[in-house]
Amino acid sequence: MSQSLARKRSRISLASRAGDRRSPLAWAGSLLLHGGLIAATFFTFTHSLDISDESPPSIPVDLITIGEKTNIAPTARPAPQIRPEPVEAQAHPLDVQTPVIPQQEDQAEPAPDESPSEPALKPPEPTPVPQLKPQQQPAPAKPQKPKSDQFAALLNKLTSAPATTSNAKPGTRTVKGIGQMNAMTMDLVDALRNQISQCWTAPVGAPHPEQLIVEMEVFLNPDGSVAQPPQLTADSAAAVASNPFMRAAADAAKRAIFVCAPYKLPADRYSLWRDITVTFDPRKMLGAD
Amino acid sequence: MKSAVSRALVFAAAALAALAFAAPASAQLHVDVNQGVVQPLPIAIPDFLGGPVGAQIAGVVRADLNRSGLFKALDPKSFVDQIRDVNVPPNFANWRVINAQALVTASAANQPDGRLRVDFRLWDVFGENQMLGQQYSTTPENWRRIAHMISDAIYQRITGEKGYFDTRIVFISESGPATHRIKRLAIMDEDGANPQFLTNGSYLVLTPRFNPTAQMIAYMSYAENRPRVYLFDLETGRQEMLGNFPNMTFSPRFSPDGNKVVMSLEQGGNSDIYVMDLRTRSVSRLTADPAIDTSPSYSPDGTQITFESDRGGSQQVYVMNADGSNQHRISFGGGKNGTPVWSPRGDLIAFTKQDGGAFRICVMHPDGSGERVITDGWEDEGPTWAPNGRVLMFTRSERNGRGAQIWSVDITGRNEQRVLTPGAASDPAWSPLIQ
Repeated sequence: MSQSLARKRSRISLASRAGDRRSPLAWAGSLLLHGGLIAATFFTFTHSLDISDESPPSIPVDLITIGEKTNIAPTARPAPQIRPEPVEAQAHPLDVQTPVIPQQEDQAEPAPDESPSEPALKPPEPTPVPQLKPQQQPAPAKPQKPKSDQFAALLNKLTSAPATTSNAKPGTRTVKGIGQMNAMTMDLVDALRNQISQCWTAPVGAPHPEQLIVEMEVFLNPDGSVAQPPQLTADSAAAVASNPFMRAAADAAKRAIFVCAPYKLPADRYSLWRDITVTFDPRKMLGAD
Repeated sequence: MKSAVSRALVFAAAALAALAFAAPASAQLHVDVNQGVVQPLPIAIPDFLGGPVGAQIAGVVRADLNRSGLFKALDPKSFVDQIRDVNVPPNFANWRVINAQALVTASAANQPDGRLRVDFRLWDVFGENQMLGQQYSTTPENWRRIAHMISDAIYQRITGEKGYFDTRIVFISESGPATHRIKRLAIMDEDGANPQFLTNGSYLVLTPRFNPTAQMIAYMSYAENRPRVYLFDLETGRQEMLGNFPNMTFSPRFSPDGNKVVMSLEQGGNSDIYVMDLRTRSVSRLTADPAIDTSPSYSPDGTQITFESDRGGSQQVYVMNADGSNQHRISFGGGKNGTPVWSPRGDLIAFTKQDGGAFRICVMHPDGSGERVITDGWEDEGPTWAPNGRVLMFTRSERNGRGAQIWSVDITGRNEQRVLTPGAASDPAWSPLIQ
């Protein structure tokens, strides 16, 4: 609209200045100016296109696929792969030359109680060699399968995979940076949760396992491998320093992160999962406590 | 004027920078993992350097950790790397290849003074760091105890909980036909090694229990046809009748400080719970009820006692203060419930539930909440706790009458395993960690 007005105005001014006398010059000038104007029009036009493209984030493509992506849920744990090179290139400068910690030295030594068989005993019969029965070997194998069922029944608060899908708000337009659990990232959260769960040995047998909640920041490479060792958040690090059960729980959580890598996640959205926070919370796995 | 402009520019730049840093943080993904698996940790334990004794120690450590159900010691045949020097960090990639999450490297060597020295290190294969490094020294014949202590150290570092491998089990060894059963007091290492008889079988013995130092056993014996509680000193082999009671005493158990023994005394068909101070030999009565009160067991802090009583019409589990006050029933989960034992950790009471014709081992909190059945045998009874409160042993009898066996189970109900004993065995009692 504004361009056509400008064109009209320039044509009027040319006509008034040159009149009818020098029409070839007027033609040339007119052509030149018109050409310039057209060129200018192109320039402004492309520029305005740029702006209009930038204002809404180019994410609607992802929105369409959310429903499906959330449903890929139970991703099988990636088969352990032989990694030709260590996860981290920079090896820890371990000070192995330091002498072994001698904190337990001599603890095993005195063992005054090692002699319950000594002659002071009453007439006990000579120490029998344990005749190990043949059926002792199969024993441990047998209970395995039924026990796992029973364990599930015992810890009867075990819930099936969290149905996070129900929280999705399909069709809601997301705004940049709205938070972690929006429709844009829910599928990533689901995928990560499902993969990590396969590798996490929860501290269910520890005393007060409900208190052993570990939070850490995890850094991933574009191929889904772990970029650097997970970092405990300040709260978790403080708890680990004072509680051996927390230390064990934090170690188990770190192992889960390493063992489950590489993670299968959409490469085109690497920026969203490059740096994530993971909370390991055993409370839902506990029984009627 | 100029400085105002530059200040404004600096401010704007700072604001932009703050935004740039803040933006990724607010958008960071947060993953809540609340479902895990319960599976053993794969650990590689190559034979220790230092010849046959190194291999023997490694074998015992592997067996200990496997038995716990929390570890899976990988088959040495699967190893693609070899440890040549325990003072050099291992090539972690070679251990990740076989999916080992932890690695033990160790060496055993005889010292010039004739003692055996074992150095060992525990490595985090994925984190690529040393989790533990220790050295043990002892007489060579104690090599099994070194193995158990290393198992305990690994278990504690990885689970956060003290181990229970350097412990002993006292139990009743049974032999002979059912009509003329011979029952002898016996003791062995936690893994079934070194079994020995403590009594000769000429009289019946029942319900052995360790004191807190694992040096003394209280048990009930029919020696001289007088069923009484006795003490057995493991160091000297001496036996002593505890107190001079006119009637039968039974079901003894030490207090956590080892200074008292609480037990039942039977009088005219009624039995009540008494406590004897071992230093003064003074006796005080804790229950005075016409019903049968028995199987007392102290809480680890010594302030309370759990016991069984049929005062309410059927056998149930009760709790009282250590002075006998505030007696109240805690088992309301159905069936008959008896032989309660307080966990050394204090958080649970294990007991035997008789319901629907079967006997099973259960646990519940000391207030009676959270009851769980953790074994599924036909006749499982008489639980005893590992010193870390994580594992139970109990007596299992099967319908085919093959005799009693000792089994162990994790408190989560997993990992039921038979405990190796020479012949039939019942009534196990788990020692504290050996000092």
